Amino acid sequence: MPLVPKIVSFWRTLVRGRTIEVELDDELRSYVEEVTARKVALGAEPSAARRQTLMEIGGLDRIKEEVRDVRIGRLAEETFRDISYAWRMLRKAPGFTLAAVTTLALGVGANTAIFSVVHALLIAPLPYADPARLVFVWADQSSEGYPRAPLSGPELIDLDTRASLFDGFGAIWATTAALTGDSEPEQLRIGLVSSDFFSLLGANAEVGRTFVAADETSGAPGSILLSAAVWQRRYGGDPAIAGKRVLVNGRPTTVVGVMPAGFRLLMPPDAAVPDDLEAWQLLDRALPEFPRGQRFLRVVGRMRNGVSLADAQQDVARVGTEISKAYPHYGAAGRKFETVSLHADAVREIRGPLLTMFGAVGILLLIACVNVASLLIARAASRTRETAVRVALGAGNGRLFRQHLIEGLLLTTVGAITGLVVARWGLDALLALAPPALSRLSAAEISGPVIAFSLAVVFTWGVLLSVAPLSEVWRVRLANAIRIDAARNGGGGQRLRTVLISTQIAMSVILVVGALLLVRTFMNVQAIDPGFNAGGIYSFRLASRPAKDRGLAFGRRLQEELSALTGVAGAASLSHAPYDHVPNWGGPYLSRKGAEPSTAPQADYRSLSPGALELLGIRLIDGRSFTEDDDDNARLVVVVDNRLAARAWPGESPIGRRLAVDPFVTGEPKIWATVVGVVQHVRHRSPVEEVRDQIYFPQRQLLRNPSVYIVKATGDPAAIVPSVRDALTRIDPALPIYDVRPLTAYVEGANATRAFTMQLAVIFALVALTLASVGIYGVIAYSVTLRHREFGVRRALGAGAAQVIALVARDGARLLTRGIVAGLVGAALVTWFLRGLLFGVSPWDLATYASAIPVLIVVGLIACLLPARRALATNPVDALRSE
Amino acid sequence: MAQPTEILKGTLGLLILRTLELEPRHGVGIADRIEQITRGTFNVKAGSLFPALHRLEQEGFIAGEWSVTEAGRRIRAYRLTPAGRQQLIAEKKQWARIVSAVGLVLESD
Repeated sequence: MPLVPKIVSFWRTLVRGRTIEVELDDELRSYVEEVTARKVALGAEPSAARRQTLMEIGGLDRIKEEVRDVRIGRLAEETFRDISYAWRMLRKAPGFTLAAVTTLALGVGANTAIFSVVHALLIAPLPYADPARLVFVWADQSSEGYPRAPLSGPELIDLDTRASLFDGFGAIWATTAALTGDSEPEQLRIGLVSSDFFSLLGANAEVGRTFVAADETSGAPGSILLSAAVWQRRYGGDPAIAGKRVLVNGRPTTVVGVMPAGFRLLMPPDAAVPDDLEAWQLLDRALPEFPRGQRFLRVVGRMRNGVSLADAQQDVARVGTEISKAYPHYGAAGRKFETVSLHADAVREIRGPLLTMFGAVGILLLIACVNVASLLIARAASRTRETAVRVALGAGNGRLFRQHLIEGLLLTTVGAITGLVVARWGLDALLALAPPALSRLSAAEISGPVIAFSLAVVFTWGVLLSVAPLSEVWRVRLANAIRIDAARNGGGGQRLRTVLISTQIAMSVILVVGALLLVRTFMNVQAIDPGFNAGGIYSFRLASRPAKDRGLAFGRRLQEELSALTGVAGAASLSHAPYDHVPNWGGPYLSRKGAEPSTAPQADYRSLSPGALELLGIRLIDGRSFTEDDDDNARLVVVVDNRLAARAWPGESPIGRRLAVDPFVTGEPKIWATVVGVVQHVRHRSPVEEVRDQIYFPQRQLLRNPSVYIVKATGDPAAIVPSVRDALTRIDPALPIYDVRPLTAYVEGANATRAFTMQLAVIFALVALTLASVGIYGVIAYSVTLRHREFGVRRALGAGAAQVIALVARDGARLLTRGIVAGLVGAALVTWFLRGLLFGVSPWDLATYASAIPVLIVVGLIACLLPARRALATNPVDALRSE
Repeated sequence: MAQPTEILKGTLGLLILRTLELEPRHGVGIADRIEQITRGTFNVKAGSLFPALHRLEQEGFIAGEWSVTEAGRRIRAYRLTPAGRQQLIAEKKQWARIVSAVGLVLESD
């Protein structure tokens, strides 16, 4: 019979089972009636005729049974029987089932949760239309210390007009803007975009629309596109928001639309475009006429259909070469344009940590499965008698194999379903634990592909681990054949379990070593001197300043009032807090007259009030810091970092030297300032690397808004917050204060991803150790049971407690030694993949490897403790009597 | 009337198909017909008849339908399906081959 009708008929039998039973009853009854009627017609008495008929048939139930056999088919029926048998066995051993299901659920849950993140961030395409065609374009200015530099307005037009393989290019630049008028003023992180930016991405608005070219025409009112967060928070999700007027930086502006709630700009991490922008506005309409040197645009291009990345790269590089020739302004250096897939670049920095976590949960799942396999083997051993009986009753190899496979798969199914529930909770916990810097994790969900992947993985393991106990079954068959009491001869299965548990210990060692390396990394990063001291400092920002009290006078007054508070050691203000998300500020500088501007090195700019350097503990190496006298009436002065000093004037004192800078970001360093001081380089962008040279301006000469205000406490910084708020209210009750947090919060934010990775690694290592200790316990406890009699005899012959413990410990030690040695070798191979995440510690750091050993030994000993106590408690008389 | 004989294993299906070749019949009808044609040699018992019927139906060679007799009794009558007709032809040929082969063996010296 061909397969398809067979399946159809089988299915019909399943769903129509009841109908068929009824019909069969009817059919047989009709048969009995007819045969009986015939006998009656021949003169028999009705009831006797019926009895005789039934006797001839030989039992209706047997016939029904046989028909059912025919209907359902032997294989299916036996499978059902096996499933219900397996189900009964699992229910009869709740302890075992609970242990196995919990273990599996943990492994599957962790695996699924992490895979959902990996899937959302690394595998699933960006949430834009046809995202594979989107690329990021930057200028390579490596020689000026800026490998991935932004582009200028005219260059965006150059790309649009000269590149031939692209549908178009869009640009974005992040800044801040004050939203005022309708309620409390607030500063928003704003993305300034070209009008086609959103249509280029293929991202649409939830309410209203995104920008159109008409918004850019002269005379059009200002327009703003809101994020769903601002829309909800500030306008209560007003469905008629589109077309309403708001005030942005004091200018009337029309809300054109609201982006969907989940919308994020997924830009490369060093593009200085935060992915949690709160609103978008259009770039200056005059952008094409901006100076070519004024480079601040992050450019996204959409390749034409079918264009390869390599061809696109050549295309933009050619544009760079062409304009280098066309505009002498670029000088000798010229322009080098580079491009890379937007997706690959957007996840560049989280790829490492994510894949590491994914590897770790993979190992964890393996450990969990080994535990379950080991449990199954132990159970197969304890069911020796049952197996022996089944074998004696003629159960073939295939039948035993199927029985075990079904038990294993049933267990796996229950474990997997529980695991998916655990994964949901796990993902929620993960998202709750994730630092704001990793907010894009929230895109993760337990979706179809995620579930499919997890089930595929777990069922592969399920099949393997259901087969593991068969080794025990073969032994029973053998034992049965040569008639030895299999129950008392626990050899083969135990040997396999020993191998499994050693493997498990080895894998735990790998996770422990990995976690320790990440802990070391975290400690190393914490120990780095970033060049400033955030301790004891509270910071806040103001969304606006009093109308009558603008500019420098306000800053001076605020600084005086705050400094005078009790418990305050000093107050100051500066343009950027370390590691904050305020768009960066910087540009090229020239250290001597007539230097080539096209190859000018780049520096980060910061503006500081007097006293700020001292409050932040930035070390002054030479010269002086800023004073109140560095104001509009004095010549422009700057303080530079030692990195700049060493580059510009190696071996000479920089004090009194002149420096051309570009604080207004015109693209050309034309303003000359005098260096009055040299300070230690501050790692204000990344705690682990020095990024660029640094130039500090006096705030009294160059005020940049919004400022961050810092107040250093003599004691607990949190304690001064109320009096700081009081002081602000005294100055102006309407002052909108925001971002009130200790300065250390910014530092923690910068380390958050690293801390998160480390915490997860430690959690996984602890789970691995727990599972491994359960595994060790299982094997040792079982071997103690097997050697019950031996211990009894030894006790009877006068063996002391120490000797018995030594016997048990020897088993444990053998397991541990093998596992640890194999694990250290494995770790040496695997931690190589971690090298990108490590800081200040080698993947083969001997001390770290060595410190993993005692951890495992302690866990191993704890696992041996209970079995050892049981061994000690063996009563010699009982042990012998049980013979 | 001939001595009742055990039906050869595997031939009951063939006999049932043959019985249904001309017209649909129900269980008792099929058993009667086989007994009648073989002059009582084969007496088909319910215990082998019904499993065989359901196997043939399962395999798609016959199809059962409920109907009511003139006496008002509900019966399940089976008819040959096109697949069953082909199967009957194939099995007939097979049977002929077996008979001639067995005959050759028996008649050889």
